[in-house]
Amino acid sequence: MHGMINKSIEDLVTINFGADKWEAIKAKAGIKVEAFVSNESYPDEMTYGLVGAATEVLGLSVSQVLFAFGEFWVLHTANKGYGDLLKSAGRTMPEFLDYLPLFHTRVALIFPNLKPPRFECSDRHPDRITMHYFSPRPGLSAVVSGMLSGVAKLYETPAEITQTQFKDKGADHDEFLVCWGDSIKK
Amino acid sequence: MTGPQTKLDREQFAELFPFHFVVDREMRIIDAGDVLLRICPGITIGSPLANAFSLFLLASPTLHIDREYLIKHKSTLFVFKSSSSDLMLRLQLVILGDPERYIFLGSPWVRNPTELKALHLVLKDFALHDSTVDLLQLVQTTSTSLHDAKQLALRLELNRNELKELVDTANAPILTIDLLGKVRDWNQTTERLTGFSKADAVGKQFVEDFVNEESQQGVRKLLDGSLEGVKNARLEVMLNTRDDRKLLVIFSASPRHDALGKVTAAILVGHDITELDEYRTTLENRVADRTSELSLANAELSRVMRSKDDFLSAMSHELRTPLNAILGLSESLCEGVYGGLTDRQSKSINTIAESGHHLLSLINDLLDIAKIGAGKMELEQSTDSVEDVCQSSMRFVAELASKKKLRMSLVIDPNGPVVHADQRRLKQILVNLLSNAVKFTFEGGSVTLETKCHLERNVMEFSVVDSGIGIAPQDLERLFSPFTQLDSKLSRQYAGTGLGLSLVLRLAELQGGTVSVKSEVGVGSRFTVALPWKSSTSDIATNDHAQDQHATEFSAHESGPLILIADDNESNLLTVGDYLRAHDFRVIEARNGLEAVKTVRTRKPSLVLMDVQMPIMDGIDAIENLRGDMSLAAMPILALTSRAMVGDGERCIQAGANDYLSKPVNLKQLVQTIRNHLNVGPPK
Repeated sequence: MHGMINKSIEDLVTINFGADKWEAIKAKAGIKVEAFVSNESYPDEMTYGLVGAATEVLGLSVSQVLFAFGEFWVLHTANKGYGDLLKSAGRTMPEFLDYLPLFHTRVALIFPNLKPPRFECSDRHPDRITMHYFSPRPGLSAVVSGMLSGVAKLYETPAEITQTQFKDKGADHDEFLVCWGDSIKK
Repeated sequence: MTGPQTKLDREQFAELFPFHFVVDREMRIIDAGDVLLRICPGITIGSPLANAFSLFLLASPTLHIDREYLIKHKSTLFVFKSSSSDLMLRLQLVILGDPERYIFLGSPWVRNPTELKALHLVLKDFALHDSTVDLLQLVQTTSTSLHDAKQLALRLELNRNELKELVDTANAPILTIDLLGKVRDWNQTTERLTGFSKADAVGKQFVEDFVNEESQQGVRKLLDGSLEGVKNARLEVMLNTRDDRKLLVIFSASPRHDALGKVTAAILVGHDITELDEYRTTLENRVADRTSELSLANAELSRVMRSKDDFLSAMSHELRTPLNAILGLSESLCEGVYGGLTDRQSKSINTIAESGHHLLSLINDLLDIAKIGAGKMELEQSTDSVEDVCQSSMRFVAELASKKKLRMSLVIDPNGPVVHADQRRLKQILVNLLSNAVKFTFEGGSVTLETKCHLERNVMEFSVVDSGIGIAPQDLERLFSPFTQLDSKLSRQYAGTGLGLSLVLRLAELQGGTVSVKSEVGVGSRFTVALPWKSSTSDIATNDHAQDQHATEFSAHESGPLILIADDNESNLLTVGDYLRAHDFRVIEARNGLEAVKTVRTRKPSLVLMDVQMPIMDGIDAIENLRGDMSLAAMPILALTSRAMVGDGERCIQAGANDYLSKPVNLKQLVQTIRNHLNVGPPK
């Protein structure tokens, strides 16, 4: 997993719950890494371990932790890590979502070991879009919901995110319907 | 090669090259991509190229763009700088003929996302094939990585500083020795303790330059072990100091590893024990001094103990001797030896005698308690008849019981006919308990001595049960304390030393036994002494002693001469017997002439003290009887006569006695007389 993901979990916990909680989570997960480097690749088990330990230490459900992480990732970590580049991906939320597949393709080219997920867009309308999320990693759809929610907040666009297809219920990938503007006024 | 032979419309061309522009032969801009037109307001279709851009060249001033230059350098990468903004374009020139056109293809030169934003560009403005976006993303991630690395370095630096501060401020000498034995690091505490600064020490040989000669060999071994990977090896090391002070440190040595796990140095962490060592030495000296003092004190204590023993012994002799005279003379006065007495005189003499007996009891009890306390009381275990011991004890109180018209009874458990104990001390216990029972029981009451043998527990119980005044529950706890009489009124009403029960308890415990009491005020008391008892004692129930139904041996020393005292007066038996035992004689007793004769025949004593006036068979008949036995001819017999009976002495000599002494007997003189007849001197 991308080191920035682990860094993001660290920041999420440290900023919202305190450094002692983070140390407790690390200890519980049995992780002895002093500090994560953003663009290093870390074993997936480490990230899953951190999430599992966070649910125990913080007393939150797994989906709560993952959703919070997804939002935090966009609004804090990616915004800090990619800064203007992130915003350059689109002038509006729809533009950004449309560019998201390409963004991940470029990440995969730059970091061939990272195995980032694949995004695809379909059913583009002026007030809604369908996002398709493909990943070999199980159980992370709540992160995607949180990220999409974070993007809406980043562009200050009120939006509704609904997961319309679930990989863990037998589909070949997860699917999300993102609605804004008129589609949520109906 | 014909090339791709593709014809692109303007929209397709602009999608592939969103930043392109086209110039005619006169160097006028005749077309441009929409994105370029949006971000570069200086470009106007039909206007000269030179108005919109200048040519950026290394090591040259900005150059005016003209046709000849472009044709000459058409294979070069051109960098055009916008005249109206910060935009710089990196361009490749393609020249097409008829009409002659100059097509510039490329994209803006941006080095980071911030410049992208400043140019009002988004990623989507670039053609998909344009690697500028990839480079921007790469730059961004590299920048993030660098930032992370800086943060990490900062954190490591912080940790390093904290560690260094910790090492420096630790109140322990900490130093690092490299593989060559040279000092690599030296903390502030080491500086303070040795007086050598880090600058003085680093690079120098630790052992040779800083370790005292006597510790050098040990430290070399310690370092060698540590460099071979041994952890936490410890050694007391004497270090050199700048001012030649003594500095003793306990070092714990461990290996230091590099990132690959290879040992690079030894880390020594020490603890200054100089003061501790000095304190230890002082303490050892003090212990030695105290031991010496203690030895002296012990010697002094032994001397004092000996003095105490001597004192007790002397007190025993010196108090009992005059007391014996007082008691004897009182008895003589009462018997009218010195003439008749008025009632008033008789009463006074009786009071003197009673007080004397009381004092004698007190002295005896005190001496016994003192002996037990000093661990000097030696028990003489023997096996004897329970009934004999009980009867003998009851005889002591028979007179007083009779005076008070008490019903006295003895109940012996047939399961325990004999007891193995110190008979004299057991009798002492029983006499004490019986005396108390008699003393505290009203006229017409009853006192019972009963025994009970608990075979299953191997315990023999002797219980003295009375129908006396009883003891209140709150008083039971302090009952066995010395000098305790529970009610001061009682102490006036009933004479007593207050030592009796205390002595009973100590004597019982000395024999491995216990004492218990049950009592009810106004109903009576039951005192029970429980002694260890073995069924095997019954095996020796019939021995030589058993034939002497009423003779009891109280032997202090197995090796002393055996003396038989024949006297029907228990006080005399006690007084004379104790005195003789105190002078290393063994003593056996008989309470009439017949007993005396039987005992002599079975026990063959060294000497007989024979009272003249005794029941059943008097002393003169007994002497004659004994002298009729030729085997006893050599045995000395000393007669004890009463001064009231004139001529008794001579009659005794005629009957066969070797000598006679008049009562009250001078005990010192008695002992001397016995020794004279036995030809023995005082013990060494």
